[in-house]
Amino acid sequence: MVKVWDPLVRASHWSLVVCVALTWASGEGGNAWHEVSGYLACAIISIRIIWGFVGPRYTHNARYARFAEFVQTPSVTFAYGLRVLAGNEPRYLGHNPLGGWMIVLLLTCIALTGFTGWLYTTDRFWGVEWVGELHEGLAIALLCLIATHIAGVVLASKRHGENLAAAMLHGRKREENERA
Amino acid sequence: MKAAVALFLAFCFAPGVVFATGLATCDSGPQSSWQSQETLTKILSDKGWTVRRIKIDGGCYEAYVVNDKGERQEAYFHPVTLAPVPTKPR
Repeated sequence: MVKVWDPLVRASHWSLVVCVALTWASGEGGNAWHEVSGYLACAIISIRIIWGFVGPRYTHNARYARFAEFVQTPSVTFAYGLRVLAGNEPRYLGHNPLGGWMIVLLLTCIALTGFTGWLYTTDRFWGVEWVGELHEGLAIALLCLIATHIAGVVLASKRHGENLAAAMLHGRKREENERA
Repeated sequence: MKAAVALFLAFCFAPGVVFATGLATCDSGPQSSWQSQETLTKILSDKGWTVRRIKIDGGCYEAYVVNDKGERQEAYFHPVTLAPVPTKPR
C-alpha cells in the first residue's frame, strides 16, 4: 500500500460530505444551520482549491493533491470514457480522468450553490424569484452529481478490486502499474 | 461501508425534497376559488410594501415582501379571502 491522499484532501472530502448533508437537512424554514453549513462548505472548497494548486505533487511516496495531476484534457478523458464502456479502462493510482472532472463539477456546483445562497441574503436579492429558484436548482443538480459520483466510485472500486471510499478515509491504495 | 454512506445521505436529503418554508397552512379548497396573486400583489403594493415574489406554501399564499419600514417579511395570506394568516414561530 502506498500513500495517495494527504490529510487535507481526505479531511476536506469528508467534512464536505457532512456539510452538504447538513445543508440539505436544514434547507427549509430558515434554519440557521443552513447558512452556517453552506458557508462552511464554501470555506472548505476554498481551502481545497488553493491546495489543488500548491499541495503535494506526485513523488515516490505518491500524493495526488494537485488538479494538474488528475484533471485531464477532454480528449484523454473521452478516450478513457470509451475504454470504461468497453470494460478495459486502466486503473489510476490517483483520480481517473472522469473522476477528476467530477471533482471539478462538484466543487463548481457547491461554489455556485453557496454563492446564490449568499446572494439571497442580500437586500438586493432577498425574495427575488430567479435567485431562489437558481439556488434550489443548483442544489438539485448537486444531488444528481453526488449520486453519479457515488456510482462512479462503486464502479471503479469493483472494476479494479479496491475500496476507493476506504482509500479516501485512510489515504492508502495498492501500488501497482498505473496508466496502462 | 458504501451502503452506510448512501443511507446517511438519503436520510439527510429526504427532508429537503419538499421545498416549503412551512410557517403556516391554510384550508383553502380548490384553486379555482382562489383570488389571483396579482390581486394580492396590488393590495400589498398599495400599502407601500414591495412584493419580491409570491409562492404557494401549505395551501396559503406566501409573500416575500419588504414592508414600509424596510423590513423583510415572509407574510402568509389565505388564497380565497386574502386575509393575513398568522405564522407559527420558527
